[in-house]
Amino acid sequence: MAHGLDDVATASEAVSVPGDTAGFERLIAPVNYVVVIVSSVALVIASFVLTYSVASRYFFHFSTDWQDEFSVFLIVGAVFMSAAAVQARRGHVAIEAFSSIMSRRANRIRLFLVDIATFVFCAFFSWKSWILLHEAIIEGFRTSSTWQPPLWIPYSLMLSGMVLLSIQVLLQIATQIHRWNRPS
Amino acid sequence: MSVAVIGLLYGASTLLVMFAGMPIAFALGAVATIFMVAFMPSSSVDTITQNVYEEMASITLLSIPLFILKGAAIGRSRAGQDLYGALHAWLYRIPGGLGIANVFACALFAAMAGSSPATCSAIGSAGIPEMRKHGYSGGFAAGIIAAGGTLGILLPPSITMILYAVAAEQSLGRLFLAAIGPAVLLVVLFAGYAVWRFRWEYAHAKVAYEKGGKASPILDADMLSMREKFSLLPRVLPFILLLTGVMVALYGGFATPSETAGLGAVLALALIAIIYSVWTPKDLEPILVSTLRESTMLMLIIGMSLLYSYVMSYLHISQSTAEWIVSLHLSRWVLLATILLMVVVLGFFLPPVSIILMTAPIILPPLRGANFDLIWFGVIMTIVMEMGLIHPPVGLNIFVIKNIAPDIPLRDVMWGVLPFVGLMILAVVILCIAPGIATWFPDHLMGAGR
Repeated sequence: MAHGLDDVATASEAVSVPGDTAGFERLIAPVNYVVVIVSSVALVIASFVLTYSVASRYFFHFSTDWQDEFSVFLIVGAVFMSAAAVQARRGHVAIEAFSSIMSRRANRIRLFLVDIATFVFCAFFSWKSWILLHEAIIEGFRTSSTWQPPLWIPYSLMLSGMVLLSIQVLLQIATQIHRWNRPS
Repeated sequence: MSVAVIGLLYGASTLLVMFAGMPIAFALGAVATIFMVAFMPSSSVDTITQNVYEEMASITLLSIPLFILKGAAIGRSRAGQDLYGALHAWLYRIPGGLGIANVFACALFAAMAGSSPATCSAIGSAGIPEMRKHGYSGGFAAGIIAAGGTLGILLPPSITMILYAVAAEQSLGRLFLAAIGPAVLLVVLFAGYAVWRFRWEYAHAKVAYEKGGKASPILDADMLSMREKFSLLPRVLPFILLLTGVMVALYGGFATPSETAGLGAVLALALIAIIYSVWTPKDLEPILVSTLRESTMLMLIIGMSLLYSYVMSYLHISQSTAEWIVSLHLSRWVLLATILLMVVVLGFFLPPVSIILMTAPIILPPLRGANFDLIWFGVIMTIVMEMGLIHPPVGLNIFVIKNIAPDIPLRDVMWGVLPFVGLMILAVVILCIAPGIATWFPDHLMGAGR
């Protein structure tokens, strides 16, 4: 199913996964845990920043020019950085319409091929993110607002998140290969 | 290669990759990237990450994680049960009042939490056992909760509406207001059905009892004192104030939609800390982690869907498909019915976010050409997507209900939700006949015309 927006929607997909943090994936689990905690705090800070913006305008009659972009950076960073942690639980929603009618072996092969395709895409996206970040640092890219923060900040978070995600998918592939080769 | 062939290849590859089971976000991103490499100048491939970032870095879109945080805070507290308990206490004397209390509780909770499955889970976990204890059939009880939960994607602050506002370039404030009338209509229809169905089940139980059968609990009457009724109110009032406060902040001109989302999240966290003592890091961790997981999954789908739409537009696939639809010279109602049917079919497989972002560039120009009000259409499309959450065989809410009431057979749950699917279709027909139900409120408050 792929209707949902909540955890409930992805629970069924998560169940079908071989080993949540088993094998090689154990290597990255502590990193994901720390990233999730830091990203959660970033979301809460973004909420407080936007609340402060309303309060300062209403009670103290002055407006700020940084709160929107600051919140954007926090939320975009939180989203990209925690993409690997979500992938670790197979939390990125997919259409699983055929999984129930395929044999266990066919499903394993399907999942393996899907992981390879996902890895290729994520690795390509990471490479392009690096080029963008490099350009932003060299050229000194800034946003077009009055506050004008440097764009290398969100770009570096996007790059780090996508690299972490690529590593996570690669480790999931490695875990599957390892299990196939292990004598049962 | 002609645009038509490229378009067919684009659609076919998307279906192939998605049905293979690749996560939707990466499937959309991968297909868009492959077509960029194959059919677009190499300079556009270099901007792929910049495109995704710029599409996602919209402050309106980024209000979504904060609305999710507000919903998670409310959804993981006892607020749902308390809200339900208070409504039950005040409505139980009306025939079918228990069913009505569940519909109202779903609507109010949906408006606070903004999530359909969270509403089903929070209200259903208290409401379904209570309704069954009072003799309601399992299917009927499940149907009320599954359908009531769908109001989460219609009532403000609906995430679906936020995305539609971005995709259709319509005013979010106007869309939120336009959803209120139709949501009230659905609540009235659901509550009306609850009364009718209660009377039907009551009459059958009475006949069975008079023939010497066992007395069903549906025939029993509850009694609560006024003191008991009033004692339930203090726990609910703060949340009603939160709901009202957020609406006043948004429509009173005090805050933008994203600021409202931040303010709502902070107020929700403060309320659960004060009322339910949920404030320690251990208490807050599940709320924050679930918010982050849901937001990340959703925002990546949104970012990649926008990249997918950009490629579709660059390669003139969306424009050509829209022109082709216009060239069919369908009557406006046939055009609307065809588009809504397509949304229903897509709803079998895709979440509302993807449906909106992938189809908007194709379906909105013909609808605009046929003189449909796009605010009104946003509401209609959302109601149709609500049906996708409960229509068998794959409606998400059905499976949420199965989780919280595993002893109700799936067959009963599916039969139980079908009348509500019928009521939603009826609501769409009523809105087609009387579009003012949706458009009057925003026109009245914000002025007519766009």
